[in-house]
Amino acid sequence: MTAHTDPPTARSGAADDDERLPCGRLLSQVWEAWEDRADDPHLRTCPHCREALGELDRLESAVRGLRADPADADDPDGSDVARRVMDVVRLELRPGRPLPLGEPGEDLWVMEAVAARSLRAAAETVPGVRAGSCRLRPAPRDGAPGPVEVRLEIHAPHDAALPALAEQVRARVRDAADSALGLPVLAVDIRITDLVDGSADDQEGGAR
Amino acid sequence: MRPDERSHSVPGSRRQTAPPEGGADDDALLVVRAAEGDEDAFAVLVQRHAPALIRLATRLLGNRAEAEDAVQDALISAWRRLPEFQRQASFSTWTYRIVTNRCLNVLRARRPVAPLESAGEVPAPEHAVSPARIAEGRDAVRELRDALEDLSAEQRACWVLRELDGQSYEFIADAVGISQEAVRARVFRARRCLTQALGAWR
Repeated sequence: MTAHTDPPTARSGAADDDERLPCGRLLSQVWEAWEDRADDPHLRTCPHCREALGELDRLESAVRGLRADPADADDPDGSDVARRVMDVVRLELRPGRPLPLGEPGEDLWVMEAVAARSLRAAAETVPGVRAGSCRLRPAPRDGAPGPVEVRLEIHAPHDAALPALAEQVRARVRDAADSALGLPVLAVDIRITDLVDGSADDQEGGAR
Repeated sequence: MRPDERSHSVPGSRRQTAPPEGGADDDALLVVRAAEGDEDAFAVLVQRHAPALIRLATRLLGNRAEAEDAVQDALISAWRRLPEFQRQASFSTWTYRIVTNRCLNVLRARRPVAPLESAGEVPAPEHAVSPARIAEGRDAVRELRDALEDLSAEQRACWVLRELDGQSYEFIADAVGISQEAVRARVFRARRCLTQALGAWR
């Protein structure tokens, strides 16, 4: 609303190709009032303002035609673009650091991003849980990288008993690290970063 | 694809603030994962957002082929910049901004050859229209298309975002990186040019 009370000279931006109508209003003001749906009796009665709004109205009807034009209106499905994007992305992966698997000296490694993906999936086997950030940090042992510390952020269902839920997630993550990856884990730190509306009970039946 | 499968088992009503399709907080989780190097999470985001971005770029640039190239470049750039993405905006707003900027650069680069390009542009398809009463409307649409080519890159971008895309001045200011007042001025100038062009035809 303040825009309308400003004196015309304060409107710096549009000044150079603005036009003062014979009734004293600036064209930019008249159009802006129309766009803001301002209730101004002058606009309804003044012939100059009505003519200015008529021009805009003609533009609007051409715009509606443009919006409805099949060249613009048909829905892009985007799958070609998505495929081309992912072709490039897969050449520019960010796998993170290598983490040691198995026994010390075994010289078997897994990339952090790959391990994180498995651990997130394991966390999400707990009904209603969604996993976000998953960082794995090797704790140094005798100068060489040792077992990892996992820090996992999750969204939990709002009706869950959080300590029990966290314990359940921790167990699934440890189990996946141990049996699926063979990744020695020192600690699993769970951070609940959000509570979401999904119910822990609802999930049980559907997710299995 | 694991993140996608999983999202099916989560009801869409998890949060009242989440938009109907995909869900903003689901996006946020995928963004975090993608930033940590999970390309599958990024693939879900790309599939989810590419159609809207292509629609935006098509409106900004006036043709689909260039629009798809611009969106492709923008999304690849998004993947590269994800680790520094501060999550102060949603993925949707952030990529909208990247695509808008990409399209602005395309428009700026092609200014000198615009008349040639618009001359070669596809005419309005005949099959979609039948009654003679809309012939005038069709001419006006063609006039409008031509007149759009004569706008400056910034005028065109601001006008398209406002008029075709229905965005707020605040949103456009953020996407284009100028003040709201500057956006209003550009939209006004664009309307001035376009009404004059349509008036000349009448």
